[in-house]
Amino acid sequence: MYKLIWLKELKGELYTWKSTAWLLAASLLFSFTSYLLLTNKELTLLDQTELLWLLGKVIVGVGLLVVTIDASSIISSEFEQETAESLFLTPLALKDFLLGKLLAPLTLWILIYLISVPYIIVASAGSRLALPFMGHVFLLGTLCVLGFILMTFAIALLYRSSKNTLTTAFVILLAAAVPALFAATLKSGSVLTTVSKINPLDNVFSALDNVLVDYQISLGQNWQFYPPLIIFGLVMLGLLSAAARRFRQQGIIRNE
Amino acid sequence: MMISVKNVSKAYEANVAVDCLNFEVPTGEFFGFLGPNGAGKTTTIRMLTGMIAPDSGEIAIDGWSHSDKSKIARLLGVMPESRGFYNWMTGEEYLSFFAKLYDIPEKYAKVSQLLSLVGLTERKHNRVATYSRGMKQRLGLARALINDPQVLFLDEPTLGLDPQGQEDIQHLLKRLNAAGVTIFFSSHLLNEVASLCTRIAIINRGRLVAQGTIGELQIQAKLPASSLKDIFLALTNPANV
Repeated sequence: MYKLIWLKELKGELYTWKSTAWLLAASLLFSFTSYLLLTNKELTLLDQTELLWLLGKVIVGVGLLVVTIDASSIISSEFEQETAESLFLTPLALKDFLLGKLLAPLTLWILIYLISVPYIIVASAGSRLALPFMGHVFLLGTLCVLGFILMTFAIALLYRSSKNTLTTAFVILLAAAVPALFAATLKSGSVLTTVSKINPLDNVFSALDNVLVDYQISLGQNWQFYPPLIIFGLVMLGLLSAAARRFRQQGIIRNE
Repeated sequence: MMISVKNVSKAYEANVAVDCLNFEVPTGEFFGFLGPNGAGKTTTIRMLTGMIAPDSGEIAIDGWSHSDKSKIARLLGVMPESRGFYNWMTGEEYLSFFAKLYDIPEKYAKVSQLLSLVGLTERKHNRVATYSRGMKQRLGLARALINDPQVLFLDEPTLGLDPQGQEDIQHLLKRLNAAGVTIFFSSHLLNEVASLCTRIAIINRGRLVAQGTIGELQIQAKLPASSLKDIFLALTNPANV
C-alpha cells in the first residue's frame, strides 16, 4: 500500500510543480557553481580535487536543504488540508503511510543526484576521480538524507504543522552544517572533535576530503565515516518509532 | 447489533467531551444522532470510526472492537466532519485512489458506478479544485461508499447543499438503507433527521439525554404531538439541564 502513497506524492508534487521547481533550482545552482569554479580567476587557481570537494559539498547541501523542506510539509499537509481523516479511515497502516511518504523525498534526492552527475563528470574531466566521487556522494548523501527525512517525519508527527516542523528541522540542519563547515584547525578542542566525529554532515565532508584530497577512493579506505551516518539513521528511526507510538496514542485526529 | 457503545468516555484535559455514553444501533437501522454544537457528536463519531481512542468504555462495530482498525475499516464508510480533498486530482482519480487503498476488484467499474450515482460523471475529468461545495459533498459521499460499507457514518452530509442536492442525497441514503446498510446520521437539519431516521439519540454536554423513535422522544420530553425541533430544544435547553 506504500506504493500508492508514494505515487500519489510524486504525482501531486509534479502536478503542483513543487518538485519540478526544486529540481530546476538545483540544476541552476549546480550550473552556477560549476561555472564559477571553472571560470572565476581566483577559483580556477584551486586544485581540481579542491574544486570537486566544493562541488560535492554543494550537491549534498542542496539535496539536504530541498529534501528537508519537502519532508517538512509532506506529512503535516495531510493534517492541515484535512485529508488525513479520510486517508486513515481506509485500511492504510501508519507504517505504509510513512514508508510511502519517505520514498517521495528520497526520490527527490535521487533526482537531484542524477542532475548533478553531468556536472561531476565535467568538473572531474582529466582525473580518475569521477566514478569514486559519484559513488561516495551517492552513498554518503543517501545515508545523510535518509537520516534527516526520518528526523523531519518524527518532528512532523509530533507537531502536525508544516511551519513548526520546517523551523525545527531547519535549526537542526543548520546546527549540523555550521560546525561541519569549520576549518579543521578550528576543531582542535575535545568537544569539537567529538561533535565532528558524530556529526553526520562532518562525516560526509571528511569522507569526500579523504576520497578527493588523499585519493583514498575505495569503500574500505573510508569505512570509518559510514558507521556514524548509519547510527544517525538508526537513532532517527528510533525517534520516528517513538513519535509514531505517541501519534497512535493521541489518535489520528488530535482534538484540542 | 451493528454498533454497540458501552460506558464510553472521552476527555480533553479538564474538558469532558463524552461522558459515559451508552447506546446500540441494530443492523439495518437509520439512526439519527443529534446534539447542540460542542455536545460531543463529532468526538463520538471519531471514536466509533477509530480515529480517536476513548479514555474508557467499549465500542464494537459488528462485534469487532474499534481498536481492530484493519477489520472495521472494511466495514465502515465515513463522511467525516473534516472535508479535505486532494484538489489537484480529478474526481475520477480521487475515487480510483481510494478504491486502490481498499483493494477493490474492478475498481474502474466501481468508480464509474459511484460517479454516476452521485451525478458527477460529466465532471469526472475535472480537478476537484474546480468543484462547487455541493459537488465536493457528493464526491465525499461517493468516497464513503467505495468499499460497499455495511455501516455508513455521515456527519452533516447535506451541509451547504441546495434543496435539490439535499433531496438527491436523501433519496440515495433511503435506497442504501433499504438495501440493508446501517446508517449513523448526524445533522443539525432536524426536519431531515425526522423524515429519514427510524430512531434518534440526543446528546448534550457529552451525555445521552434521550433516545428512541420520535414517539418515544415525545414521551421522554413530555411534549406529546410536538416536532423534533421542540423536543430537541426542550431536552438541550441549558435551563432544563
